[in-house]
Amino acid sequence: MRSLVGIGLLSAGVLMSAPVAAQDIEALRQELQQMRKQFDTMKDGYEKAINRLGERIQQIESKPQPAAAAPAPTPPPAASMAQAAPAGPPPLAVSPMDLARPRPPFALYGNRGPGQLLFDMGIAGDFVANFTQRNVDKANAGSFAGQENRFFPREIELSLFGQVDPYARAEVRIEAGEEDSGEIALHLAEANLTLLTLPFNTQLKMGQMRNRFGLLNSFHEHDRPFIETPNVLGWFLGDEGLVERGAELTWVAPLPFFLEALVGVFNGDNEDAFGRGKLTHPLVTGRLRTFFELEEWGAIQLGASVANGETPERHRNTLLGFDAKYKYSPEGWTHPLLTLLGEVIYQDRRINVLGEDTDGDGVPDTPDETRRRKRWGWYAGGEVRPFRTGWQKGLGAGFRYDWTQYPVMRGREWAAGPFISFAPSEFLRFRLGYKHTQRTADRASFSENESSARKVDEILFQATFILGAHPVHPF
Amino acid sequence: MRSLLRALPVIALAVVQLAPGLGPGAAAAADKLRVVATTTDLKALTEAVGGDLVEVNSLARGNQNPHDLEVRPSLMVKVRRADLLVINGLDLDQWAEVVVQGANNPKVLPGTPGRVDASQGLPVLEVPTTKVDRSMGDVHPMGNPHYTPDPGMAPQITANILAGLARLMPGSRPVFEKNRADFLGRLEQAMSRWQAALAPFKGARIVQYHADFVYLFARFDLVKAGAIEDRPGIPATPGHLARLIQEMKQAQVKLVVVEPWNDVKLAERVAQEAGAKVRVLAPSVGALKEARTYLDTVDYNVRTIADGLR
Repeated sequence: MRSLVGIGLLSAGVLMSAPVAAQDIEALRQELQQMRKQFDTMKDGYEKAINRLGERIQQIESKPQPAAAAPAPTPPPAASMAQAAPAGPPPLAVSPMDLARPRPPFALYGNRGPGQLLFDMGIAGDFVANFTQRNVDKANAGSFAGQENRFFPREIELSLFGQVDPYARAEVRIEAGEEDSGEIALHLAEANLTLLTLPFNTQLKMGQMRNRFGLLNSFHEHDRPFIETPNVLGWFLGDEGLVERGAELTWVAPLPFFLEALVGVFNGDNEDAFGRGKLTHPLVTGRLRTFFELEEWGAIQLGASVANGETPERHRNTLLGFDAKYKYSPEGWTHPLLTLLGEVIYQDRRINVLGEDTDGDGVPDTPDETRRRKRWGWYAGGEVRPFRTGWQKGLGAGFRYDWTQYPVMRGREWAAGPFISFAPSEFLRFRLGYKHTQRTADRASFSENESSARKVDEILFQATFILGAHPVHPF
Repeated sequence: MRSLLRALPVIALAVVQLAPGLGPGAAAAADKLRVVATTTDLKALTEAVGGDLVEVNSLARGNQNPHDLEVRPSLMVKVRRADLLVINGLDLDQWAEVVVQGANNPKVLPGTPGRVDASQGLPVLEVPTTKVDRSMGDVHPMGNPHYTPDPGMAPQITANILAGLARLMPGSRPVFEKNRADFLGRLEQAMSRWQAALAPFKGARIVQYHADFVYLFARFDLVKAGAIEDRPGIPATPGHLARLIQEMKQAQVKLVVVEPWNDVKLAERVAQEAGAKVRVLAPSVGALKEARTYLDTVDYNVRTIADGLR
């Protein structure tokens, strides 16, 4: 009986489960069909992605391959050439496989190639030597005062420069050079920022910089066309030149010829000319620069500069500068055959003059007073590089004449000298020159260590090299 | 002082007449896009795409070596007015950055829409694969920048220029596209002629003065067999020339090509010693009087090479 009941229950169960199983099968079929569809969709997707990749490979392979070893294919027909112009953002051709592929971290750095350094850097080395008379050496009165009859690094300069962002450029120059004590000193030569996207075609440069006063002041010594600084610049602007902290605003006029106007406001840290060092009594500078193409290969640049500030004695000093530079390059020459340049500096300055003891009793007989010093000086020079091609094109010969009054003390000096130069490449240059200087000054001037140097003869030598990048200097 | 004051209105009027954007011709010029290209080749290709809608100036002249261009303020005047600057992009015209810095024109600063790097997308040759330094001469770390003499590069260069022009004048894109298609049509016709002219000389070995024609040689299956320069930008030494002449004799080199600004006499001496001919090619539009347009320039170079190899 028990077995009969069991069979009955089993039969009932089977009979009842038959429609349920049928339903499951139907559901499974539907699920399977759905999966097939999904699979087909995925397959289509992968096929499309593979096709796209294939097309890309074909496209790349069909581009002109100008490798010497491979036969150069002809360019595609004009219609397909025209299609090559991008009409908008390129279609995204990244397949899921591309996305899933493991990639190394910092791929940008891993694959970095040339030209991807974010700023430029370069080193300029400038070595000079001076041979002169014994009395000049003792009196420390040569062109490199205190470094007579020495060969030394005058300026080893590390330059870092480049875009900060789309709106600004920055430049940092660190210099090392031998001091007159014989020690090497390291200092910040320049560090400045230029805002490039200001309105009305203006640019603002701020920080520490060589001022754009006159022609040569903004050039570092290794970039100048002469071995040593022209006398007038040394006397009126100091041995280091005008290197100031502040800001310069430039504007290029909307004219058919070049006209640049500049105005600057600085602390006034130059000990020789200004030196008050306070923005409350600032050094204010201005410059106008223009340029004309005189004939097909000749060009002239003219400039006028002004600097007005206070001296450490709190007296006003005004400097006016006028400069000109001419270059002539015949057709087909990559360098100028003839370069001529010159500057004039005029000074109007007040100085303290102490009372003089005229009768020798140790008590000044005239009162202390303030006097005006209107002084000026100039230089003119040039260089000829007569060979157009070959190694000889690096050969040059030049000459410079200097005449200047002294800014504060009585007297004046003139100097003249030729030089020759040889540049095997644009990154290496040697110069050898002779300079004769004659001074008309008080007996006490240019006298040290019981020696006097009113007539100076010097042989000068310069070796300059550039490693890495170097910013091009305009004209 | 009074006479100066009286003269002021006259001076002001003269300035207005002369100043771009203020004078009577300004209205016509205002409709045009002002483009500055660093070289004459890029100027010619920009004119081909831009047509009447652009006014194009070149910074380098055709007969100037674009490697050593002196940065003159007159170049800054051109860039100051520009809406678009087309550069070589492979450091041939690095001086252009100094021009831009002095021009006070924010429209053409790096990274702005007013910049076109013509080298984008080009297959660049002679990209250094090892460490480079200046003992190798004036090497270009990004590869040989003299791609414009190769007419096969013109489609991509003009595509880059078109993209730049259309960025600034989107409404004129169809005109630029038509101009470009017309130009490429003419180029394609000329290309078959050039290929036919140089087909008999496939594999011919040519010595160059500087690597100005590497792309052009590769395009037409010619082989560069050496350079008169010791290394790029470095004048040849007697030892280098002696070796080169020896190699030229061994390889039976028939032709030496030289740029008009390089030492043609030296090239002639080398060729004479090695029993080869010398031909002066035009590295850019305007380099020689025969090279008036881009197509003329390629045409002249192809004819001259074929003549030299005959």
